Amino acid sequence: MLKHIEIYLRSFFDKNRHHFVDGGKYKKLASIFEAVETIFFIPAIRTKNAPFVRDGLDLKRFMSIVLLALVPPLVFGIYNTGYHSLQAGGGNLTFFNVFLNGLMTVLPLIVVSYAVGFFWEILFSVIRKHPISEGFLVTGLLFPMTLPPTVPLWQVAVGISFGVVIGKEVFGGTGRNIFNPALTGRAFLFFAYPAKMSGGSVWVAIADTASSVVNAVTGATPLAMTALAPSFKNIETMLSSAGYTFLTLFVGNYPGSVGGTSALCCFLGAIILIVTGVASYRIIIGGVAGLLISSFLLSLFPSVSMNPWADINPLYHLVAGGFAFGIVYMATDPVSAPGTDRSKWVYGFCIGMLTVLIRVFNPAYPEGVMMAILFMNLFAPLFDFIAIRMRVSRRIPNV
Amino acid sequence: MPGDLISIFLNSVFAGNILLAYFLGMCSFVAVSKNINTAIGLGFAVVFVLSVTTPLNWLIYHYLLAPGALLWLGFPNLDLSFLKFIMFIAVIAAMVQAIEMVIDRFSAALYAGLGVFLPLIAVNCAILGVSLFMVERNYTFLESLIYGFGSGLGWMMAIISMAAIRIKLKYANPPYGLEGYGLTMIVTGLMAMAFMLFSGMTV
Repeated sequence: MLKHIEIYLRSFFDKNRHHFVDGGKYKKLASIFEAVETIFFIPAIRTKNAPFVRDGLDLKRFMSIVLLALVPPLVFGIYNTGYHSLQAGGGNLTFFNVFLNGLMTVLPLIVVSYAVGFFWEILFSVIRKHPISEGFLVTGLLFPMTLPPTVPLWQVAVGISFGVVIGKEVFGGTGRNIFNPALTGRAFLFFAYPAKMSGGSVWVAIADTASSVVNAVTGATPLAMTALAPSFKNIETMLSSAGYTFLTLFVGNYPGSVGGTSALCCFLGAIILIVTGVASYRIIIGGVAGLLISSFLLSLFPSVSMNPWADINPLYHLVAGGFAFGIVYMATDPVSAPGTDRSKWVYGFCIGMLTVLIRVFNPAYPEGVMMAILFMNLFAPLFDFIAIRMRVSRRIPNV
Repeated sequence: MPGDLISIFLNSVFAGNILLAYFLGMCSFVAVSKNINTAIGLGFAVVFVLSVTTPLNWLIYHYLLAPGALLWLGFPNLDLSFLKFIMFIAVIAAMVQAIEMVIDRFSAALYAGLGVFLPLIAVNCAILGVSLFMVERNYTFLESLIYGFGSGLGWMMAIISMAAIRIKLKYANPPYGLEGYGLTMIVTGLMAMAFMLFSGMTV
């Protein structure tokens, strides 16, 4: 059966190829043809000149592994969204019901993000004649996972449009951008529509089945909740009295962005990414080290005026909010991160440090990791430049 | 008091970055960021000019121009503050001339690389802008020194990171009409968005 389908598809593509090559009727749409064909078949073109790749790790396999690693936080995110919306709305909390409810909230976000993003991707690839990149499959999934579940769908469309067009396509497509496209879109939405992106009332979606209107209830994230109560002496007691124990934060069963709450699932994803060599372990370990070291140093200087997150146990910083998600999936984006090994350590470390600094010193942004990564994207080329120059200056001159 | 100074310094480098929050000094930022060594040179020149001219202009303003500043000469009712623009520009131009001669004497390569933009620091809006902000915000002498130095550092940080980004932008393939300066302006806007991370930070 499968064999028949394969033969049929093969002959279908071969029969129609002549429309898309030079001189064909649909020459302009060649990139779409190529994109559809590579979904089913490995391209037939063979490399004739150096450099030859040693391994079949092409962009498609690379991005497929990232998508695979995104499955645990996505599945948990869907469950988590459904759980909190049903809990707030007083629904039936069986597993199937919860999952279905979450799916009804999350799936539209993902569908809109993919549909609008692919529209821009295809438009640019047809006009500019570059192949459609698999990189968007990751961007289009990462973007809705960083959003609060109550975000209006048109804002998802606006955000992904900004991320794909300004964040990536004006630079010429995948591999040439400076900033992570998903984060560019997220930051754009954050500054353009702050009421829908932060605060206490956006993190729980109640799916009212009767009127199919998504209402929001108050459900402060752990990070925002502590910012609301200043000069609190023992933040750990306060968190656990609100139901956010260390274990809850680690597993991720609390209101938050769709995919970014669970440190456990991000840890699973990190293992997949590191073992397959897709994500740089240097960035991840550097980021965790930067977060722990700087929050430990800050906890040594307790001060009344500071946000209570200054003198918390450093491990709480690791599991609360979207840090785990950001450092595993966003910071390791191979395009916007530095390319040299040493600067990857520094880059990760700075992201961790900045995240803590924003959480502690900037009351405007309870969640710091998004801006920290975007800010360090800005300095990634400089890190590379310095690392290369240091390497060159140590070289013994040819005499 | 030291807390105030630290806060002014951090604010002028990050949250109130003269380039990425106020968009002053854009012309030389866009034009000289093509080469990272030249960018570093111009960055140092701007840091130097700013940290000298801002306190100098403070002295001039508070002892010559401000309303009642000429009390020490016996003119308690004189208000010469309408002269501040031309006086500030004159001080800046004189400083830039001095720096130009020093760079010409000690680093011919940097002098050639900076080209016309070195004398153009004289009319760089960032330099005049910092002096005017200093008057507007009623800084003390020490504060204006810190503010000038911090603004210069912030400007230098922005131009150096931009120069490094433009190394990477050589591999970009922008749409027709956006090559070069167009893409640089878009990147500047995205940089400004990333710098908003510091807005609202309290130290």
